[in-house]
Amino acid sequence: MALEIDALKDAIEEKATKSPKPQLYIKDFYKCDPDSKPRVIKNVANEMVREGRLMFWSSGSTTMYGIPSRIQNEEG
Amino acid sequence: MAKHETPLLDQLETGPWPSFVTDIKRQAETKPECWDILGILELSYKERITHWKHGGIVGVFGYGGGIVGRYADMPKEFPGVEHFHTVRVAQPSSKYYSTKNLRQLMDLWEKYGSGMTNFHGSTGDIILLGTRTENLEPFFWDLTHDMKQDLGGSGSNLRTPANCIGQSRCEWSCYDTEEACYHLTMHYQDEIHRPAFPYKFKFKFSGCPNDCVAAIARSDVSVIGTWRDNIRIDQAAVKEYVADNYPANGGAFSGRDWGAFDIQKEVINLCPTDCMWMEGEELKIDDSECTRCMHCINVMPRALRPGADQGASICVGAKAPILDGAQFSTLIVPFMKIEKENDFEELIDFIETIWDWWMEVGKNRERVGETMQRVGLPTFLKVMGIKPIPQHVKEPRSNPYIFWKEEEVEGGFERDVDEFRRNHAA
Repeated sequence: MALEIDALKDAIEEKATKSPKPQLYIKDFYKCDPDSKPRVIKNVANEMVREGRLMFWSSGSTTMYGIPSRIQNEEG
Repeated sequence: MAKHETPLLDQLETGPWPSFVTDIKRQAETKPECWDILGILELSYKERITHWKHGGIVGVFGYGGGIVGRYADMPKEFPGVEHFHTVRVAQPSSKYYSTKNLRQLMDLWEKYGSGMTNFHGSTGDIILLGTRTENLEPFFWDLTHDMKQDLGGSGSNLRTPANCIGQSRCEWSCYDTEEACYHLTMHYQDEIHRPAFPYKFKFKFSGCPNDCVAAIARSDVSVIGTWRDNIRIDQAAVKEYVADNYPANGGAFSGRDWGAFDIQKEVINLCPTDCMWMEGEELKIDDSECTRCMHCINVMPRALRPGADQGASICVGAKAPILDGAQFSTLIVPFMKIEKENDFEELIDFIETIWDWWMEVGKNRERVGETMQRVGLPTFLKVMGIKPIPQHVKEPRSNPYIFWKEEEVEGGFERDVDEFRRNHAA
């Protein structure tokens, strides 16, 4: 059974916090809840960006997600 | 007055063509940060290494695309390009814009950015090169509130959809490309502005097989206008072309003398499927063999027109060369009606079936065309619920084995061996 939205957000945050990599692809979050559809996880991750719990990192061609404090800040 | 010595770049101004170096020098007279562009580029030419860092965290609030973070790794030496972010502005449909609109946009970019631009990116966006992080939100406010324009797509988003001029000016357009592009752009605002996919995803709309937006070369879903009845022929106009009274190719290529028009040489012999011939003074076409190459229609536009039963072919999976080289999109649906009346429902269902599958099966940074290649076309067709047809076959099979599924075999895989052996001795 798919996780409730709040539980899914917590699982995504935990994954982003504990992962050895500071930036993660959206697919890396699919494992947080295999019962949730990819589109649901995408929507939740984007909502977390609006809430400030995650942050986008983009190369221009690909977008990744990370905990704001873990993403290297190029602006120092 | 130049800020940096640039002997290597200066050499690029000595050729016969206009030079971007000259352009940047001219721009630097009013935007001094542009001197640092030349300085850092000169250094890269000298050291043969880039001094741009890869990507970044910039954006505008609520959007996960449209801004590409660019930072220099030598900010002390080149402070003007310490931040030099790219902004992608969605182009107007068919790239129709007024000079007033362009002037407004350039004024805005002079105010908040370097004033340097690329018209257009391969997706179609207006590319504005070089601004600082603190300028992004004020620029975005003015762009959206004063000019009512929006940012385009970047990153793992749906990229800014693009379309040809369509029925607004072109008699060959087999559907309303502008309406289709606009409708889908509005329908998929979330996918354009927030990342959704394993990698970039593009769709483009061309009104006819001339494919003026290069949909077949660039887009993951190429919607290319076509017809399923016969090319419409005006035999009286054919005679006029044969008599050289009408200029071939609508008068294009008329800069030199090509001699008298020769329908056999210039049209019939060039038909890729040999489906045209003359019977007396009448041009005949075996439309069942026509592959919609458009050559005959392009050469004799007053005599030939696309058929009247119009729609689009849907091809999937084009990409430019990053991994495994470039590839064209593959024909998946030979004909689909593209109609506003049903809000393009059939096309939207098709696109979303691809997305649901690709978001699950596609690897990180894998375009949908690469996923299709990895799993094979038969698997992709099955996912899409499409029955294979001869047009899907690229080449004769080279694998002699046929793998049957149980449901395809009468009686399934459970057989009474004794019954079988009664007629087939071991």
